[in-house]
Amino acid sequence: MKRRDFMRCLGGGAAIAGVSQSPWWPQVLGGVQNAWAFDVTTKLSSVEARHYKKLEGGGIECGICPRHCRVTDLERGFCGTRENRSGTYHTLVYGLPCSLNIDPIEKKPFFHFYPGTTALSLATAGCNVDCKFCQNWEISQARPEQTTNYEFSPQDAIDTCKARRVSTIAYTYSEPVIFYEYMYDIAELGQKNGIKSVMITGGYIDEQPLRELIPHLDAIKVDLKSLREPYYRDVVRGELKPVLDRLIQMRKAGIWLEIVNLVVPTLNDTDQEFTELARWIKTYLGTDVPLHFSRFHPQYLLTELPITPQITLERAHQICRAEGLEYVYLGNLPSHPAESTYCPKCGAMVIERRGYQTRVVGLAAGRCSKCKHLIPGRF
Amino acid sequence: MNDAKQVSFGNLLMAYSFCRLVPGAISKRLWFSLLLQYNTYMSSVVVVKLAQSPDGKFDSGAYRRLLEIGLAALNGAANLKSALAAVLPGGVVGFKTSCLARKFNSTPVALVEALTGLLIDQGFDANDLIVWERTSRELADAGFVLNASSQGVRFLGTDANGIGYAKGFSTSGEVSSLVSRIMTDMIQHSVNLAVLKDHSVAGLSGGLKNMYGAIHNPNKFHANCCDPYCAHVNNLAPIRQKHRLIIIDAVRVQYDGGPGYMAQYMATFGALVISRDPVAADRVGLEILEKLRQDHGRPSLAQAGREVKYLKTAKTIGLGEEDLARIDLKTFIVDELGHAEAGELFG
Repeated sequence: MKRRDFMRCLGGGAAIAGVSQSPWWPQVLGGVQNAWAFDVTTKLSSVEARHYKKLEGGGIECGICPRHCRVTDLERGFCGTRENRSGTYHTLVYGLPCSLNIDPIEKKPFFHFYPGTTALSLATAGCNVDCKFCQNWEISQARPEQTTNYEFSPQDAIDTCKARRVSTIAYTYSEPVIFYEYMYDIAELGQKNGIKSVMITGGYIDEQPLRELIPHLDAIKVDLKSLREPYYRDVVRGELKPVLDRLIQMRKAGIWLEIVNLVVPTLNDTDQEFTELARWIKTYLGTDVPLHFSRFHPQYLLTELPITPQITLERAHQICRAEGLEYVYLGNLPSHPAESTYCPKCGAMVIERRGYQTRVVGLAAGRCSKCKHLIPGRF
Repeated sequence: MNDAKQVSFGNLLMAYSFCRLVPGAISKRLWFSLLLQYNTYMSSVVVVKLAQSPDGKFDSGAYRRLLEIGLAALNGAANLKSALAAVLPGGVVGFKTSCLARKFNSTPVALVEALTGLLIDQGFDANDLIVWERTSRELADAGFVLNASSQGVRFLGTDANGIGYAKGFSTSGEVSSLVSRIMTDMIQHSVNLAVLKDHSVAGLSGGLKNMYGAIHNPNKFHANCCDPYCAHVNNLAPIRQKHRLIIIDAVRVQYDGGPGYMAQYMATFGALVISRDPVAADRVGLEILEKLRQDHGRPSLAQAGREVKYLKTAKTIGLGEEDLARIDLKTFIVDELGHAEAGELFG
């Protein structure tokens, strides 16, 4: 191994190790630390939510996600972040993120979206599903009173990006659909200030809110957790069909899209499932949509399962490539060759990745330097 | 959850099977003892009502009269002290309140004053009594004066400084939750101080539903009229193991439009429902709620699409008795001097 390669590996490893110790990691349901100089607050916001309708008798029906929670006075929806107060639905987390960090864009992961850049990444408490494998359950499965929150307005987000010379804001970690209003306003303001916005989501959102949001976003990454409805019902506590519908909607809208599939041993790791996944993407989205297979680590309610074997991920990669998907990646496997981007026409490496170390090595004006094949994405 | 001497049919069947497999393993005497306990098995629920429906304020004196009669009758003890000792045999007692609806329709301050005062008079140490809710703000909004110190009766929320939730998940069925450390670490006995009301999702909000306030993720468990979730929340080990007593406030009942406060759907019933069996207490509470709905021209909960299914589930997993025919319901009418006589639930 050359000295330069060794240093790169070291850097990638350090970046990953840093995740568990980084200052943003919220010790929710207990103490907290944060390196940011924004004020901690115990207050909840009372901004009126969007996309809901009022019902007779003071109730409301939320229209943000397909769950369509019917919520009476003083109660909250499934997400725990929206509350009915005397017949008006409020978001309790507007301007109150519990997680803030500047991450490599590859961590989202986006591999075809301004590679090597960073994103101001933020999240509030709450989620509209309850994945048994959630890596961020301490914030996603918490109510906002249970996390340490920071006063961080949309303007603060833009100012921070400018001060830190960050060109993208990522709505991530938990589920941005549940802080829709906050995300929307930041994205809209960012657009006016030349700051890009990317949403990292499970895609469990209603058609109309998504349609209104897309014009203010630059890219979306969707966790397509399985193509099996029982998996969504039993492991995710959500529904598959609305997610598939939204993926098609995103693709038709022309926004940059990447997909992640977390491979969980014994639950969604058969050859048949990988094949079905590849064929669905090929049929409904196209072969040029990047697909990332991600390695499962025992977390939250699935602590009894093993880490996904590397060979399983490699099998998934092989199957999907054979099915014709052009950009298939393996995640949580630092320095694996399948982290890098190769030209599907000539096979040349165009972007090299080792952990979060990224080098554009064969890409010019969005084309392969060697054969001039167009590499899709935003570069 | 039931009286310690009670024997469920399942246990009886197991004992019988074991007896057949291993002749002589269970003596005749023990066998007859088990049979006797099964035959006398009933979940006891006591409803104590004031003789006259209170038009005005229901003060701590009125609550105290109901509690003294109700607690003694529940345990069939010679005196109140021995009745309380049977239910709360030493250690720190936690009182889980229901304060969602603020001061309008939450666990009344007067009820808590009456109960803690009664316990202290019977020899309980005030420092061993903790009145609690999900958040301190909810307690304060319901009219309680917070006290997070180590002196006197404490009034605090799970979000109070240094408390929070247990680190490990408790799981039952589809429910996996972190339980309040007040429940897991700070108390030995739990008293459920619920409020009887209609619930727009669950149908009934009584004792079982009140324990949603003991977990960190209650919003995840409202689908399908809270069934089977409500039963499983109460089956989480720290909650089930520490449950001792349930007192449902049915003085003023939100018979429709709950769980928040809607003045137009409030009715006076003027009673407390007391039991050691939370399922049986809720079952009786459901009778009261349905009667009030009927009296006020509201459809039954089943007709309203909110049938209370979680009580059957609770029975299935052994939390208590849901069958009215197997609930020993006693109703007492209490006059202003504290004299009681047997009465009818809807007399």
